[in-house]
Amino acid sequence: MARGRDEPTHLPLHLFLVVTVLVTVYPILWVATIAFSGRQSLAIADVPPDPTAWDRLRAVTPWPAQWSGANFVSVFRDQPFASWMLNSAVVAALTTIVGVALACTAAYAFSRFRFPGQRVGMMSFLVSQMFPGTLMLIPLYIIVVQWLGLGSTRTGLVLIYATTSVPFSVWMLKGYFDTIPKELEEAAVIEGAGPGTVFWRIVLPLAKPAIAITALFSFMSSWNEFILAATLMNKEDMYTAPVGLRFFVGGFSQQWGYFAAGSIIVSIPVVVLFLYLQKYLVSGLTAGSVKG
Amino acid sequence: MAPAPSPARRRFAAGLAAGAALSLAVAWLLLGSERREAAALGEERLATVSAQALAELAARAWERREALPAALAAFQAKARGVSAARVVALSGARLEASTFEADARAGAAPRRLARDEKPIFDQGQRLRAAVTGNREGGTVGSEIEVERRARGAIFAAAPIEAGGQVAGVASVESVAPASLGGRAAEAGYALAALAAALAVLALLARVAGERPVALGAIAVVVLAGALAAFGALSVRALGRASVALEAGVAEHARAQAEAAAAALAGAGLEASGLAPERWDVDALRRPRAGGGAAGAERVEAGLATIARNVTRALVLLGVLGAGLLLFVGFGGARRTWRALVTYRQAYAYVAPAIVGMLVLVFFPFFYGIAISFTDQNIYNQGRSLLDIWMGFGNYATILGDFGMVQRVAEGGYALNYQNFYYTLLFTIVWTVTNVTFGVSFGLLLALALNTKGLALRPIYRVLLILPWAVPNYITALIWRGFFHQQFGVVNQVIKLFGGTPIAWFDSPFTSFLTAFATNGWLSFPFMMVVALGALQSIPADIYEAARVDGASRFQQFRAITLPSLKPALVPAVILSVVWTFNMFNIIYLVTAGEPGGATEILVTQAYKYAFERYRYGYAAAYSTIIFGILLVYGTVQSRISKATEAA
Repeated sequence: MARGRDEPTHLPLHLFLVVTVLVTVYPILWVATIAFSGRQSLAIADVPPDPTAWDRLRAVTPWPAQWSGANFVSVFRDQPFASWMLNSAVVAALTTIVGVALACTAAYAFSRFRFPGQRVGMMSFLVSQMFPGTLMLIPLYIIVVQWLGLGSTRTGLVLIYATTSVPFSVWMLKGYFDTIPKELEEAAVIEGAGPGTVFWRIVLPLAKPAIAITALFSFMSSWNEFILAATLMNKEDMYTAPVGLRFFVGGFSQQWGYFAAGSIIVSIPVVVLFLYLQKYLVSGLTAGSVKG
Repeated sequence: MAPAPSPARRRFAAGLAAGAALSLAVAWLLLGSERREAAALGEERLATVSAQALAELAARAWERREALPAALAAFQAKARGVSAARVVALSGARLEASTFEADARAGAAPRRLARDEKPIFDQGQRLRAAVTGNREGGTVGSEIEVERRARGAIFAAAPIEAGGQVAGVASVESVAPASLGGRAAEAGYALAALAAALAVLALLARVAGERPVALGAIAVVVLAGALAAFGALSVRALGRASVALEAGVAEHARAQAEAAAAALAGAGLEASGLAPERWDVDALRRPRAGGGAAGAERVEAGLATIARNVTRALVLLGVLGAGLLLFVGFGGARRTWRALVTYRQAYAYVAPAIVGMLVLVFFPFFYGIAISFTDQNIYNQGRSLLDIWMGFGNYATILGDFGMVQRVAEGGYALNYQNFYYTLLFTIVWTVTNVTFGVSFGLLLALALNTKGLALRPIYRVLLILPWAVPNYITALIWRGFFHQQFGVVNQVIKLFGGTPIAWFDSPFTSFLTAFATNGWLSFPFMMVVALGALQSIPADIYEAARVDGASRFQQFRAITLPSLKPALVPAVILSVVWTFNMFNIIYLVTAGEPGGATEILVTQAYKYAFERYRYGYAAAYSTIIFGILLVYGTVQSRISKATEAA
């Protein structure tokens, strides 16, 4: 693609990229604008009855008429947003711990041992990713709410999130465990270490980076999950943040100020995490599907 | 060589024992719960009879209510199982007579009801509304209220009709009798069937010798016979219990009638002509069984239903038991056990994850498929799946309806948005357009960003990834706001250029555009990142060599860039097809299927059937079909990618 020595001008390219970036960040700027406008309305700048082109341009420019942090204050003070955030945080943290613990041991076995059912196990994990969410929702609702009585509880959500995160985590971790040389473990075994010691003292410390990344993915996906939480959490004070945000602007409710302020607070941690993690995500996802 | 019994015979005996034990145990549990339910219903019938008896007694004494306290006490003393009774008159909200302990606290009857006794009065109002409502047609509510109280007591309330309308309420608290309708005998039958099956197999096995197939066939037949015998015996026992129950209820009604007659005579009122056979009624005060031919027919019909359900359950359990039998018999169990012992370490590591997956992923999946064969909906949710089994009915309805185009009243034709094939077609269009856009735009941006010496590249890259990083439900909600007809930014922009604002969600095409814009916005970064990674791994000297050979830029792109992108792009495309196909959040939150389900994709349509129309069975069948489509896609795709890898 590069043209070599005759120094090219990148001006058209920059133009194209700048326009694309503007279109890309425009909705995000709007969220910020509504959040900092201190108002609830979606129409930030009111269009006067007989608007000029300038008035209209003003109306579509994502820049608040006046800056105010009122929405951020009142979303916490007047709405149960703090408890929704707490629910989301607790659920995501517990999901991560439980899910990664389950996935680590399983991935280690799949990577290191040869046993009947190994292939079937890995394949069934992969196939389970294809189960349509709607087919699972009804039985999960029956099991978790009616049989276990865990409707509108964090425990119910954690159990479901943790198990559904297992397949992806196992595939990621197995790929990493495969790259750890077996000789290290063999050497430890010769020196008298048991299988538990090998796993805890040698494999896990070596796999720390992969485990950290898997954990962050689990955290992100449960932090962002919407449908299950919307179906299982019926009490308003047990909503997770995504369900709560929908509550502000879904149906007939139009509290865009709360929504925007809440969205920013909810998004910042995941966006930062995501930008840090995206290269691992791409390699993990594509590797998994190539093997499938 | 050891003499008899041989290994194969021993295995099949063990298999039969395991299979028969499993199916008989489950059948016994099911029958037990059936029996308990029947007994509970029987207890409620007894309580209803008592309340009805008191209601008739009160109706006869209605003109001389001052006699009620004494009559009520006399009735309770002689009546069977009545621990407390109460009569309330609705006009004036008066407590006419009562032996409830709680009622004595606010003073002895007759008196006005106190404020905190409002629930008693409310119950009377409810019953009166139900009686008049039901009389005028339609089913408004229960005319008899029965509830279970602490320590096994049952409370029943019946309306008192005097002068052609509901004048009051008679309520009775009764203690349940020790046993109703005979004792459970199923446990004995089950054990007998098990023992007989094993004995028969031991005899017949000599004929079969060592041939596993013959042994297996014999064992399966014996299992079927044992289950059939158990089923027949149990149905007969249930029948006897049911007859005994009817007799018990009739006997109870006679006893209550005697008590009522005695009380009436004591109060100097007309005591003859009580009709105890009309007291045994259901919640709508329709006679349940009573005497006579109609009653016998009803009992008969009830028994037939029980027999049908028992048979159905036993057939299913038989298949399950036979499976276990053959598994054990042909040595599967032994091999499994050996593998478990040999590889116990590996299994121990895998077990927690597998158990979790089995309970919360695979079990729900298969349970969902089971639901898809039933007619489950919000009204019959509590009933067992077998009761509402309908085979492939849902699938036939979904897949057999080809009415994608309907004739409308005005004479023209219109698309039927609820039709499965319409939604499938829409989903395919949705997937193809989105993936095409995502791949081409992502690739274009990747090529642009891969330009050598481009300034500000990291900044562009981060800003362009943002749509992927923001949680997609937030994106979806904000884009829906953008397309708001009145306040939405998009219409403001259109007005800025002098256009007329568009009602985006009123026509299928514009509604599709809103979802397409949203999904296009959030899906191109993935392709861009994938393509960029692949581009950066192409060594620059290949282009150098191509240029030396005189290749044009387009030739370089075709010969070098595209082939190097393929290994990365193919899996990414496969993945994004599945994502887009299942992109629930965007459709659900942006278009919500408007207008009239025209922009629904398969997954959102299935969700709506389940959680907005509460047709769980239908929705499950719908979802199972979606799973089938994805499975076919996955298999075909992996074949193709393997073939291309090999080429």
